Amino acid sequence: MTRPMRIGVAGPVGTGKSSLVAAVCGVLAADVRIGVVTNDIYTDEDARFLRSTGVLPAERIVAVQTGCCPHTAIRDDVSENLQAVEELDLREGPLDVVLVESGGDNLTATFSPALADVQIFVLDCAGGDDVPRKGGPGVARADLLVINKTDLAPYVGADVGLMLSDSTAVRDGRPVIAASLRDPAGVDGIAAWVRAALAEHRAGSLVARDPGPMAPHHHPEAGHAHDGHTHSHEDGHVHDHAH
Amino acid sequence: MLDLLLADARTPTGGFAHSNGVEPADIEPAELEAFLRGRLSTTGLVDAAVAAAAARGEEPLALEAAWIARTPSAPIRDAARRQGRSLLRVAERLWPGALDSYSAASAGTPRPVVLGLCGSLAGLSARRVAQLCLYDDAATCCAAMPKLGAVDALDVTAVLAASEGLIAGLADRAVAARELPSAAAPLLDLRSVAHHENHRRLFAT
Repeated sequence: MTRPMRIGVAGPVGTGKSSLVAAVCGVLAADVRIGVVTNDIYTDEDARFLRSTGVLPAERIVAVQTGCCPHTAIRDDVSENLQAVEELDLREGPLDVVLVESGGDNLTATFSPALADVQIFVLDCAGGDDVPRKGGPGVARADLLVINKTDLAPYVGADVGLMLSDSTAVRDGRPVIAASLRDPAGVDGIAAWVRAALAEHRAGSLVARDPGPMAPHHHPEAGHAHDGHTHSHEDGHVHDHAH
Repeated sequence: MLDLLLADARTPTGGFAHSNGVEPADIEPAELEAFLRGRLSTTGLVDAAVAAAAARGEEPLALEAAWIARTPSAPIRDAARRQGRSLLRVAERLWPGALDSYSAASAGTPRPVVLGLCGSLAGLSARRVAQLCLYDDAATCCAAMPKLGAVDALDVTAVLAASEGLIAGLADRAVAARELPSAAAPLLDLRSVAHHENHRRLFAT
């Protein structure tokens, strides 16, 4: 029997990861057996919030403490999270999907492929419509990018169209979904994406792709005829940043 | 070199999630040295003696039972089980299959026992394993300090370095003991239970 598919959910603090996880669970829970592992920084607030929504049985939601290192817990030492997933599956399973929600971190935090089979990066309109342009590994290369809280855009002067086009420009064809808790279409789109990934996982054809720890960045190359170039390091390209 | 690898917090066994009683105790920087002395001389010594015995080849399930009998706090037992499981993951990669039968037979997988088994596989002496166990305990406490309060990490590092003699003496006792020590620290145990119920904690222990 295949182990549950592990979905990482990352993104800055306050972009609506927990609410989105709850909404997606609400859509999928009728026919997909889901567990959730939360990684709060200060509290088990997220786990308690999720339990309070009633979308899943309370026992299917567990919190792990990350000792102020939410970045470490999803990237360079995933042992606490892996263990929590395995214990959840053993105790409540067999589960189809376990969502691992990162404690809100910065734009460079992405999941190790050792923990997440696929990962979702969540931004929101209220965080500023320039964030997709600033980029980062999650924005550019997470398997799914969600632009959340689109309902707030008119109130905070954010341009959703710009956020979507800036995102699409750096994502090389990877999907972007605009979502809001008041718009079922966005959440349904995310749920459909999860189902498609799950089908791949069950077929054994899902390969975890690492967004990488570094954002693509620009080097003005002094002494060269051209104007520099933008690139990422996922090709193993090594160079000296001191130039 | 494997002793260094096993002592290195960068080896992925989830150590960053623990303060080993420092957060529950809510200590001031000036109290760290005394805290370490108290902790290492009691539960630290028990852990080190169990790890050393496992490294010497004593029956790990019997050691596990003995360790559980000396560890009354359920949250501490559970944390040690999970840390032991994480260490088993490392062991499986370094010595594939070597701890399969232990891993399957053990319900508790307390970290001290697993550390001793890893030490044995790494070719370390029982004394070295005891020292490593005590050092890891102290270093975990120290590393948590700057995250919890206003303290310079250099000051904390100096306290850790100054514990060398304490750790050496306790490591000697851990291997010399004819039977496992039973030193207890009831306050650490009580605080660990209250800490576990605290929803605003940063660390797992």
